[in-house]
Amino acid sequence: MSAVVEDKPNSLWRDAWRRLRRNKLAVAGLIIIAALVFVAAFGPWLTPYDFLSQDLDARNLAPSLAHPFGTDDLGRDVLSRLIYGARTAFLVAVIVTLVALLIGVVLGAIAGFYGGFFDKALMWVTDMTMSVPQLLLVVVINASLKQPITLWMEARYMETMNPIYRNSALIDFVLVFGSMALISWPPYARLVRAQVLSIRNRPYVTAARALGLTNRIILMRYVMPNAMGSLIVAVSAGLGTAMVLESAFSFLGIGVNPPTPSWGNMISDGLRVWTNYPHLLLAPAAVLAVVTVAFNFLGDGLNDALNPKGQK
Amino acid sequence: MTALLDIKSLTIDIARDNGPARVVDGIDLTVAEGESLGVVGESGCGKSLTMLSLMGLLPNKIKATGGSAHFAGRDLLRLSPKELRKVRGAEIGFIFQDPMTSLNPVMRIGDQIVEALVYQKAMAKPAAMQRAGELLELVGIPSPRDRLMAYPHELSGGMRQRVMIAIGLAGNPRLLIADEPTTALDVTIQAQIVDLVRELKDRLKMSVVWITHDLALIAGLADRIAVLYAGTVVEDAPVDVIFDRPSHPYTRGLLASLPTLAGKAMDRLPSIGGTPPEPGRRPPGCPFAPRCSLAMPACNDALPKLAPVPGSDPRHRVACFVTTEKGAA
Ligand SMILES: Nc1ncnc2c1ncn2[C@@H]1O[C@H](COP(=O)(O)OP(=O)(O)OP(=O)(O)O)[C@@H](O)[C@H]1O
Ligand SMILES: [Mg+2]
Repeated sequence: MSAVVEDKPNSLWRDAWRRLRRNKLAVAGLIIIAALVFVAAFGPWLTPYDFLSQDLDARNLAPSLAHPFGTDDLGRDVLSRLIYGARTAFLVAVIVTLVALLIGVVLGAIAGFYGGFFDKALMWVTDMTMSVPQLLLVVVINASLKQPITLWMEARYMETMNPIYRNSALIDFVLVFGSMALISWPPYARLVRAQVLSIRNRPYVTAARALGLTNRIILMRYVMPNAMGSLIVAVSAGLGTAMVLESAFSFLGIGVNPPTPSWGNMISDGLRVWTNYPHLLLAPAAVLAVVTVAFNFLGDGLNDALNPKGQK
Repeated sequence: MTALLDIKSLTIDIARDNGPARVVDGIDLTVAEGESLGVVGESGCGKSLTMLSLMGLLPNKIKATGGSAHFAGRDLLRLSPKELRKVRGAEIGFIFQDPMTSLNPVMRIGDQIVEALVYQKAMAKPAAMQRAGELLELVGIPSPRDRLMAYPHELSGGMRQRVMIAIGLAGNPRLLIADEPTTALDVTIQAQIVDLVRELKDRLKMSVVWITHDLALIAGLADRIAVLYAGTVVEDAPVDVIFDRPSHPYTRGLLASLPTLAGKAMDRLPSIGGTPPEPGRRPPGCPFAPRCSLAMPACNDALPKLAPVPGSDPRHRVACFVTTEKGAA
């Protein structure tokens, strides 16, 4: 063990970044994701056409210079719709992951750190949620909640005349986000709980207790920061999963409603006509596949960078 | 001398599937104000658990089940968790064995010291950071102010143990408990740490409890030495008495196993055959009797109690029938 200080402060994250940069697949994943973020953020300024504008003289066109990914059955530009679909996918993935993460981190940390009845109850709930097929759960939630929420909104509108209650896209988003977050938080909760259980017995946590620090400080400053690495890896993979999930819901017709473009909608529409117009299926499917793979590569790379061998 | 710490008949049990197993079996220890006590004993004899029990830091399923531990007038075993938290760090500082894993890897050194100061001394952050630099200087870390910004993995083992000591001292404790703080370090660094603690003890007028396997190492630090065996104190005497006139056969064995040349300690106990009894499987008599070459039949029947050694220093006490009876005869 040498006494050499070879780095400037913050070398912890800097070391991880250096390891990540050496991983070609992870870098490729990162670039693809960065491009996606860029496209999602600046979509309206990037699309060659309005995603809604229909050109009934140019329906189901094969890819060309004017329409790089062709047009769909209403003559809408596929590239423009893909770009807007990226907005939907990204928005859904980020919000759902954040909500799921928040629930999972809070519940998992409390359960792992304090144990007891709360811990048992949480494990029971996550077991239940994770043992039911996800799509089934979401279908049930949607089917049972959509009607009451719609009626409630209607009633609110009659009362207040506030046009916000007439916005049916809002119901869609609340239902989609809500039900996706509901099925997405248990894995985060379990991961955080497992991390906290192992970290809370590490010597530096005992040392912090010996200093007379309060449980809250120990949890926030000594336990949770050391669970960050695994959490970042899980979030990276989770964002990819959330995007696939959103597409799956749209594909099944329980996601965001047309005409809002979503990759899942496009795949589902493309599937009906793929024998005649394969580009309508291939374009959105390929984009979804590439993005999912990118998130997985990044997740793997982060895993290696944040938990290198020989380091706990 | 008034006792700052006075442990009486402390027992600690581990909950096992087949009932509780006794690990610490009636330990008596005292530490006077300003005194340094060396606690010596084989691995597993209960040294760490005894000290952790004072702080209320025993692991799950291990409990102090009897006895008392008075510190500055209050019985630590009977304080509420909240009261005990105020004792930790502020009145009793603790240094752990492994400096590699006892510091928070994702927190800067300075912040870890500041944490202690802010919560124990209610210091404001800038003043605490200033004080943190002074503490690093106190424990002999070169260019202390730069080191405040370093992460633990940027420091060597010896430097990290110095940081641990700085953190342990942050609350100005009256008692510093060091649990084998040098076991994980190189021999030369070990001596430096011992010197540092001795110097700090005198400068800050603290009492020190130093736990170790290594009698030779603490000979220069401890005023008094307590020898533990299988969860009990078998001998307790001023350090020169222990070295000149050890009474307990186990202590003699320990001393005989010391390497004569300064250097690396050899196997821990080459001259004592056998192993200590497992917790929960202790014989009714003296726990050392099965390994003792001087054991008499009486040794297997009853547990000897700590008693003054006839004709020795008044503070010299031993728990051994062979010694006390021979002296009395
Ligand atoms: N967390 C635990 N769970 C179960 N048993 C334990 C635990 N910690 C310690 N023990 C047992 O309690 C006994 C005393 O442990 P303790 O750590 O006090 O020994 P020690 O004297 O400090 O030894 P060492 O010199 O190895 O540190 C040992 O037999 C050990 O096996
Ligand atoms: Mg120990």
